[in-house]
Amino acid sequence: MKRQVPLVLCFLFGVVMCFTQFSPHSFSQSIYDEVVYWALIMSPFALAVGTITLIQTHVIRIRRRTEHWQYSFVVFAGLLTMVAIGLPFGPQHPAFAWLFNNVQVPLDATMFSLLAFLIASAAFRAFRARTFEASLLLISAMIVLIGNVPVGDLIWNTVLSWLPWDNGASEARQWILGNPNLSARRGIILGVSLGVISQAIRLILGIERSYIGGGD
Amino acid sequence: MLSKLMNLDRRVIFIFVALAVIIPTLLPLNLPINVSEPTQRIYDYIDALPAGSTIMISFDYGPSSLPELNPMAKAVLRHCFDKDVRVIGMTLYAFAPTLADTLITEVAEEADAVNGEDYVFLGFRPGGEQVMLRMGISIGSVFEKDYTNTPLTEISMMKDITNYDQIDLILDLASGSTTDLWITYVNGKYNQQIAAGVTGVIVSNMYPYLQTKQLVGLMPGYLGASEYEKLIGVPEKGTQGINNASPVHVLILGLVIIGNIVFFIQRRREE
Repeated sequence: MKRQVPLVLCFLFGVVMCFTQFSPHSFSQSIYDEVVYWALIMSPFALAVGTITLIQTHVIRIRRRTEHWQYSFVVFAGLLTMVAIGLPFGPQHPAFAWLFNNVQVPLDATMFSLLAFLIASAAFRAFRARTFEASLLLISAMIVLIGNVPVGDLIWNTVLSWLPWDNGASEARQWILGNPNLSARRGIILGVSLGVISQAIRLILGIERSYIGGGD
Repeated sequence: MLSKLMNLDRRVIFIFVALAVIIPTLLPLNLPINVSEPTQRIYDYIDALPAGSTIMISFDYGPSSLPELNPMAKAVLRHCFDKDVRVIGMTLYAFAPTLADTLITEVAEEADAVNGEDYVFLGFRPGGEQVMLRMGISIGSVFEKDYTNTPLTEISMMKDITNYDQIDLILDLASGSTTDLWITYVNGKYNQQIAAGVTGVIVSNMYPYLQTKQLVGLMPGYLGASEYEKLIGVPEKGTQGINNASPVHVLILGLVIIGNIVFFIQRRREE
């Protein structure tokens, strides 16, 4: 029963929602409206599940004294502080906004800006033209990299001013993004879309059952 | 010498990167900015809207992407308020409400725009595509109140706005995959015009949608922000950011070239 009910519900909702996309009838559209509303109501529970999982993970880390377990207390301190202010007063409260602007924003920005240092170091060590394909990738990346900033065109217009066209760095970047990149991306989108369709059919027909804890 | 260069301490590179950021911050470069076609397309679309039109801006990014996307939001908001285009702000990202609210309020105060008449910020709702789909039926059924807890029925600019039919453009400012969702669910199902401003790392993903005109236009990272600032004639943090990023790009390019030259010399010697 535990397995049959989800399978039947999945089949019913899958087929009905699929049908509503092809039928403009008011009855079909009212079903669509209602189901989308249900889905919207269910969405916040994902946040609740996420929070519970976060708490569980860090409680286990503290209990087992895993490496850097002390930092889990920082997680709880942050969580409790934001909840203690956000829940009764709302996110508009100046204290909540202050904490967000002065703790969350600089911390998050710092973490992200570290990437610039790591990427520079990694590019120096790992980006090598070992094969023909790697060379193509390397040249494209270098053109996009320099075409992405105004200094690229400045260098082009100064050093290569004898060439018949201006702003070559940004033009070349635009061409790479708009032609080879576009073609490859479109291929990926089509492939992924076909995969999603086949997976949806497998779910609706009950062939794919991993979401209820079983194998194929 | 060569092996020393190949095994260069990463801290030396870190110092170079730090200097490449700090020096142009202290001594601004003011490099010339050329506006690319995808950014120009967004500007032209908004510029052609008559006064009283409505744009929805979805602030789908967190603090980590704030330096790239906030300048875009600021420039577009300035353009909208200047053209008397009404703005509905919202977000699908839990971290964004405070930053989006702060930004809209700041630009609105500067432009003398009135909350509830010229703009409204609806806040955050979880659910991603469910939120998008449901707003196609009724925005009021997803956001009953705005961010300041005023019921939508009491907000004058929302009185004639029920769903996407009354919205002229949705601009998604994104650091993740939300633009794909807006295109799939809102452009695909409701034929709504979508534009995007995205971080540099996901720009390449957006080009297929630009070609098919599923995207009206695209602002690519810092570059897009600086281009839009140039178009409205207010160079600010986007312009400063792209000027600061320029030396770092040149540095990385230089490091890659040096790394490859050394690699080829070493390989030739080994052969």
